[in-house]
Formats: sequence, C-alpha cells, structure tokens
Amino acid sequence: MKVTLRIQRYNPEKDSEPYYQEFVLEAGDEKERILDLLHQAKWKHDGTLTFRRSCAHGVCGSDGIRINGRNRLACSTLLRDVNYKKPIVIEPLPSMPIVKDLIVDMSDFYKKYEAVKPYLINNAPPPEHERLQSNEDAEMLFESAKCILCACCTTSCPSSWSDENYIGPAALLKAYRFVFDTRDDAGDERLDVVDTPDGAWRCHTIFNCVEACPKEINITWHISQMKKRLAQREM
Amino acid sequence: MAYQPKPPEGWLKTNLRYYKHSGSWAWILHRITGLGLTAYIFVHIYALTSLTQGPQAFDNEMKLFSTPVFKVLEWLLFSLVLFHAFNGVRIVLVDWASGAKNHKKILTLVYGLGVVLFIGMGVLMFREPLANMFASIR
Repeated sequence: MKVTLRIQRYNPEKDSEPYYQEFVLEAGDEKERILDLLHQAKWKHDGTLTFRRSCAHGVCGSDGIRINGRNRLACSTLLRDVNYKKPIVIEPLPSMPIVKDLIVDMSDFYKKYEAVKPYLINNAPPPEHERLQSNEDAEMLFESAKCILCACCTTSCPSSWSDENYIGPAALLKAYRFVFDTRDDAGDERLDVVDTPDGAWRCHTIFNCVEACPKEINITWHISQMKKRLAQREM
Repeated sequence: MAYQPKPPEGWLKTNLRYYKHSGSWAWILHRITGLGLTAYIFVHIYALTSLTQGPQAFDNEMKLFSTPVFKVLEWLLFSLVLFHAFNGVRIVLVDWASGAKNHKKILTLVYGLGVVLFIGMGVLMFREPLANMFASIR
C-alpha cells in the first residue's frame, strides 16, 4: 500500500522559509506507525530529513510532532489513526522556534518546567529506607507522574501561543505532581510560582492539552485541582 | 549556534491551522459571544440615550425595535446569552467541581439546553405575529 507523507522541511543554512516535500512510501498495513514511515523516508529517500526519536515506544517523548494538524507522538500514532488515503501532513510542534525540519528548540519549555522545581524537596533527614506513602496518597499522583515531557500539550495550548510567558500545561502538571505529594515540603514555593496571571490562571480550560497528551493525562483536571488549592490558600 | 532557529508563526495563524475539537470550539464561541454581548451593551446604552431627547424620540425608537427585523435580531441575541451563560457555568464546573472529567458531556448539555430554550423563546416571540400573518393571508 502506498502512503504519502507531506513533510515540512526547513534547513537554516539554505532556506529562508519552511516548505513542504512529499514522500511516497510503501506501508505494510495500517498498523504501521508514522515513525516507521519517517524512518523509511530518511533511510531510503532523503538522508537529510531531520527529526528526533529515541526509544520509539512512547516512553521517552522525543518524537512529538504535528500530524495532520494535531500534536501526537510519531511512534504512538498508527496509520489507522489518521486518514492515510490523503497525504499525511507532518510538521514540527507549533509555536516553537524551528532548528531544522521537525526539530524544535525546547529551551523555553524546559526553562518553564524548571521554574516549578520539578524535584522532591523534603527537609526531614533521609530515613533508612524509602519515604513511605499511603496507597490513597500515592494514587493522587499516578496520573500526573505519567508525563514524559514530549511538549505536545504545552505547544497545543492557545494560551501558550498568544502568551509567551505562560508557564504551560506541562509545567503546571509537574507542579501538581509535587504540590499534591504528601512527602514534599515545598508546596507553597511551587504555588507561588503558579499563582500568577501567567501561571495556573492563564488556563482557559480549552482542553487542547488533554486532546494532545499521548499518555492520556487529563491535564486540565490537574490544573483545576491546583486552582482550587490556590483559592483555599487565600481563604 | 551558527544558525538562529526559525521563530514560530503568529498565534492567530497557529489558532487557525491547529486541529479543533469540541472544547476548542466552545472556547472560540465563548470568546465570540462574549465580544458580541459586550458590543451589544454599548449599542443598548446608546439606544437608551434617546430618553434625553424626550418621550417622542424614545417611542419612535421603540417602534423601530418592534419591527420584524429587530425581533429576529433580538432572538439571535438571546442565543448569544444562552451559550455564554451555560458555557460559563460549564467553565465554573470544570474549575471548581472536577467537571474536567466530564467536560464533553457537560458541553452536550450546554448545547442541548441552549437549543431547547432558543426554540422555546422563538415560539413565545413569534407565535402571535406568525398566526396573525397567516390569518391575514387567509
């Protein structure tokens, strides 16, 4: 079966504007992944095609790209998930500076991620074994801890597109992960970062992040829990 | 780095090109109806200023507003109110009552209630004039 990928190309050494190049590829069946087709394009047609991927199994979060207009992981999107009768449009993640072809500059994304202090802060002396939690307390974190930092959510968010200072859903989700961790002592520090017009309150509950998340995390729900916590703190 | 990365395209272009699902449409409609209602407030206050020119001016204006064209516009205005009000409740539920887990169901309810009340209002507003119109034809 023949499938066409319409890939956005951009080489900063040669091109002034990005352009689209079509690759006609051979796919075995509709269970083939978009990543397999990108590999085929690079390995058999044009070695200069540039994209990120590491584990290729939806764990590392390297290959977040825009497929037919929506953010997804190339390795977790099968042909049957998209309309492959027409050319499949492959573009880099939106609202990020393009380094080359499908590779975007994620510096700003990581800077915002670091702003919420994405690590456990506990002032008590380390115990002999692990810091234990009840099952109920741990369950509050399971969903948010699934995040793989692919940036599909933050770059799908209209609030992020129009406000470059907005901290974005990924960082807010990480803030939740530690604010609601019973072992963590720095909840207030993190809430201070999030309690700004460019923090949790910039979330307009559009749900683009939830639609985009390849790990099916309900990010908006987690942000809403943090908004409630922020309001409780004021009272 | 020898070469600067290409800056991203503008927010409007990204908004127009990105995939839209029911939640994004609800957000877009909420913005549009919000702007529409704000514009209406100004028109409404401007219309009321005819009171400063005496009762005759105000009555003339009211006569204009009771013409069929303005009746239909009034009915359409009600649709803006309906969507903005019900979707506003939906947003409150999302932010304060874990509605984020059922936001699509709540949105279906918003549209359903909106359509029912819109048609109901249409019946209330136009039943009599339409009946009169048909009576005069017969």
